[in-house]
Parts: sequence; structure tokens; C-alpha cells
Amino acid sequence: MLKVQSLDKTFHTGAGEVHAVSDVSFNAEDGEMVAIIGASGSGKSTLLALLGLLDSPDRGSIEIDGVELANLDSGGRTKYRSRQVGFVFQQFNLIPNLSAKENILLALEYAHWPNAERDTRADEMLAMVGLTADKGERRPAKLSGGEQQRVAIARAFAARPQLILADEPTGSLDKSTGQKIVELLRNAATSQRATVLVVTHDEKVAKQADRRLEIEDGVLREIA
Amino acid sequence: MNPLRRGVRNAFRNTMRSVGVVVILAVAIALSISMLIARSAVESKISSVRSSSGTTITVSPAGAFGFAGNGTPLKAAKVNALLNLKNVVSLQESLSEQLSSTKTSLTAPSFGGAAGGTTGGFGGSGTFTPSIRVIGTNDPGNAVVGGFNGGGTEKLTSGTAFSPTSSADVAVIGNTLATDNKLKVGSTFTADGKTITVVGIYTSGSTFADSDVLMPLATLQTLASASGEVSTAIVTVNNIDNVSSVTTAIESALGSKATVTSTEATVASELAPLNSVKTITTYTLVGSVIGAALILLLSMLMIVRERRREIGVLKALGAPNRSIIGQFIAESTTFTVLGAVVGLVGGILLSSPIASALVSATSNSTTSTGGFVRGGPGGFRGGGSGFTPPSGGGAPFAGRTGLHFGGFSNTLETLHTSVGWSTLAFCFLFAIVIAALGSSVATGTIVRIRPAEVLRSE
Repeated sequence: MLKVQSLDKTFHTGAGEVHAVSDVSFNAEDGEMVAIIGASGSGKSTLLALLGLLDSPDRGSIEIDGVELANLDSGGRTKYRSRQVGFVFQQFNLIPNLSAKENILLALEYAHWPNAERDTRADEMLAMVGLTADKGERRPAKLSGGEQQRVAIARAFAARPQLILADEPTGSLDKSTGQKIVELLRNAATSQRATVLVVTHDEKVAKQADRRLEIEDGVLREIA
Repeated sequence: MNPLRRGVRNAFRNTMRSVGVVVILAVAIALSISMLIARSAVESKISSVRSSSGTTITVSPAGAFGFAGNGTPLKAAKVNALLNLKNVVSLQESLSEQLSSTKTSLTAPSFGGAAGGTTGGFGGSGTFTPSIRVIGTNDPGNAVVGGFNGGGTEKLTSGTAFSPTSSADVAVIGNTLATDNKLKVGSTFTADGKTITVVGIYTSGSTFADSDVLMPLATLQTLASASGEVSTAIVTVNNIDNVSSVTTAIESALGSKATVTSTEATVASELAPLNSVKTITTYTLVGSVIGAALILLLSMLMIVRERRREIGVLKALGAPNRSIIGQFIAESTTFTVLGAVVGLVGGILLSSPIASALVSATSNSTTSTGGFVRGGPGGFRGGGSGFTPPSGGGAPFAGRTGLHFGGFSNTLETLHTSVGWSTLAFCFLFAIVIAALGSSVATGTIVRIRPAEVLRSE
């Protein structure tokens, strides 16, 4: 279970202070898919970076299953990211000179997944996202956008993380493919018992989530 | 796939760039290796020349230089005392006299044509008949036949040498003198009214050098009424590092009455071109190492900048800095190893011609004494190289290495380059240093990359 309380993040720029995230609090259950919607510059990507421990909050707490994460040191954050968080990006961000399967194996390597089980797990993940073994041997450039995002989802879920953070996962895909990707995320969240936070500005995507949160000027509120 | 394998694989991600980096590195490494080999060859040559030629000090009367000796002869008693100086291992004394035709039954050989040669000298045409030079020595094996002969390597063709302490009326004469006077071992001639027996005949391959007479020092001192006098002394020092201090001690002992010249100084001036080459190779070596490191450093910086997003993604996936850094070090090491392999081959092939070209160019620009040094007839010869005994017997003349002024410069230009394990070890070390330096700045950049900033810019 994800529990966020009173999270604050302020950036100091030449033009003054920008409150990117202001007093954000919310909970999310395992297997739940939560959509965070908001306009560009509303603070949703900053919130995602804080939850993924890519950035440190100025104040507040982030707990997963009762473990406080906001105050972890650099090494602790790296370890947390490798085992408890999966990222899905708008631009897929696969490593170009590694095959689809090797991209998945990379996440397993960083999570210190047992060596003997990595190959099987990577094959399982490829199957979960509907890619054949043949596609798994291809490099990202030889895959379509939808297939690349499937690989990214497989990579994100590979190490059985408790939290999946998806930043505009359908932003670079056509409607039909985007719809399939959201369904995939939805199903993976349920099957893997992971909390999935999807940042999107697409209402149709948001409506497929269990809950919707809206962020505006760094302030988060739940919407019906 | 571990970070090292990924790093090696990444090195071939952009083939054109990889080939470019490897080629540039190979050129820099080839240059540095060829410089290293050339430097090693030059050092070896310098060491060889210094150790073989640099431990003798010549003492002659003040003002005496060249043709007829001149100056007030040195007192043997004072010269003998030089043996007591610290670090002096031997003392060779000699007395040089000119025998005019009125004082000897010998007929001096005639030399047709111009006798000048490269250092000028006598010049003119016609027939030139010099006096006969007689050298008395207490060290026939190391006889200084110097003066104005053409130089050469003396060897006994018949007979034996006299003993160093002999005072007998005996002589070893040059082949030309013997032939012109129809003398052989056992024959006699007169000098200053005394009958001298020929005990040996030598040849040096030079007509001038083969016209001298060598006698025991004591015999010549008596003959020339120069008892207790010597015209030249050669002091041998135990170690080249002590030559300078012994030179100073001799100058102090003999004062202004003697001119003290160490072979070290002469050799040092002759070795100046080689020292220049050594300096050039050292600077080029250091420069090429720095250049190679800089090339790799800039290449790696460019690659890291290009892959900022990828590094951010790896960090987001939970990659520790050490893993990412290891990956990039493996990549830069791959470039360096490939460059080192190609560079090693190139360096070995280039080392010999580069060394020769450097020595040749430096010698040509700094050795203006070539004509003098190589001394044709009329030029100075710095010393004999001792006798090589004839086959079949005879007391061997130990043979002083001497300066071998004739052809000395040519010897300096003959460098032998070789590649040993030390070169390969250097190449390996060089590759590691370049890879480490080349990766260092890139490593710092990797550590500073914050995934949140990189991914926010998406």
C-alpha cells in the first residue's frame, strides 16, 4: 500500500519560487490503478519523480507497506528504485543497442534477481505483454511504437515492484494502440498486485483507472 | 550481461566514430611507443659510449696542442703522483720526440700530393717528408700514437711489444717506416747515436700512422736527454661519475703548467646530438600520452553527453553509479586497447626510421666538426686503439678504446632499436593510464547526472 502525506517540493528559479508539489496527500492500494491528470506544468511529473525517488521532497512522507522512503540516502533510493519501482515513459526509453529481452534482463540485473531465474522471468514478461520470443530478440528500432511500449511495461513489471509509475504512457501512440497499452497496464496491475500511477492528460485514459486525481499548481485533489 | 560486456558492446555502437577514435588513439600511441623505443636506444648508446670512452683524462703541458707538442714538458715525478689521487686506477705516460734525418739512420717516408685534407694542414702539392715521430711510452698496449696521423687501428704484424718498464734500446715501428727502410724484426737502426733493435712491426691501415716509432718511455727519455719528463699522461678513472672530480684534483695538483682534458668533456660534446634526441623523444613521448588521453577524454565526454538520457534511464531503473561508470570505463578501455594494439605495431615499425631520422637531423645540425673529427691526413687523431696482436703469438697490446675520432660520428648515428617486454609493459600501462584519464572527467559527469532532470525534459 502506498501512503503519501503532506508532500512538498519547491523549485527556486531566477523568477522566484515555484511550488511544484504542495501539501500532497493520498493513498493507493496494491493492484489499484490511479490516474493523475493535469495540464502541462501542473506538477504531475514532479510528483512522479518524488514518488519514484528520482528527486527528494522538501517535506512530507512516502510510505510503501509502512516503510518510510522519503528520507532514504542516495544508496537506499537506488536500491528502492531497482526493487520497488517500475517506470514507464512516454518515449519508451529502451536502451537502443540491447534487444527487447536484454532490456528486461537489465531491470532484473539491477534488482539483483537470481541469475538462474532471469531468463525465464524475461520470457514470462514478454509473454505477458503479448510479444513473441522472436520479437524479444529484436532491438527497439526494429519494433513498432506499441511494441516498444509493451517492452517498457514488461521491463517495469519484471522485478515485481510494488509501484509502477507511468508518465504519459500513451502519449506517443495512436488511439487504438494506446487503448491496448492502458488495458495492459490495468491487467498487469491486477495480476502483479502492484499499485499503478498513471500520469496523463488524456481523459479517456484516466477514466479507465480505478480512481482519478487531478493536480493543479501542485495541489492534488480527488475527482469523481 | 554485465556492465563490462555492455561497455565493450557500446564501443561498437557507432562504427564510424569508434574507428575514428581508435585510429587517432593508435597514431598517438604509435608515436609514443616509437619515441619510447628511440629514447631507449639513444640512452643505451649514450651509456655505451660514456662507459667505453669517458673515464680517461689527458694531461699535457700547457700550450701544447697538436703538431709539435710545444710547451714545457711535464715533470714525471709530479705526474706519477697523480696515481695517488682518489679514484685513479692507472696512469699512462708518454714522451713524444721528432727525429730529424740528421739524428737517425731511418729515412722518413714521403707522402705525395696534398697533405692537407679536411682540416687543412700542410696543403700544397709536391712531396712532403715529415720528421719521424718517436713515442716513448710506459704502456705499449695503450700507446698514444696521436698527433697528426690519419688514424687507424693498429695491430702487430710481426714480433712482440716491449715491456712497460723496459729501458732497453728497442722499438716497435710502423709498417710503412719498416718497408721504406727495409727493416724487419731483429733489424737495427740508429737514433741519437744509439743502436735500436726492432722488436715488433705494426700496421694501422694508415700510411701516416704507420710511420711512427714506439719505444719504452725510459729509453726515449735517455735518448732525448729528457730524463724525468713526459709530454702526455693519460689518467684512467674508476668510474665515469668521478671524472669531473679527478679532473679538478689534477688541475689543482699540476696548476697552470698543465692542460687537463677529460674525455668526458669531449664525449659530452660529441654526445650532444644524442642528448638532444633524447630530450625531443621525452617531450614527444609525454606530449603524445597527454594527447591520447585528451582525445579519449573528449570522446568519452561527447559520448556521455550524447547518452545523458540513457544514463538517466539506467539510474531510474536502479543502476548504481559504479555500474554505469564501469560500463563507460569498459567502453573507453576497449577504444584504448584497440588503439594500443594498432599503435604498438605502428610504433615498432616506425621506431627505427624515426630514431635514425632524429639522430641524423640533429647530428647534421649540431656536428659541424665533421671534417675535423673524421680527420683525413692532416687532421688530428685523438688516440690509438692499441694493437691487435698478430696471429700466432706475440704479446698482445691490450688496446685502449680511445676516442676513435675517425668515424665516431658515424657510430653515433648507428642506433639499434629493440622491443622488449618493458615496451609491451609500457604499452599496457600506457593504455590503462589513457583509459583512466580519458574516463575520469566522463565519470564525474555521470555521477552528476540527475535522472529527474533528464527525464523531466522529455
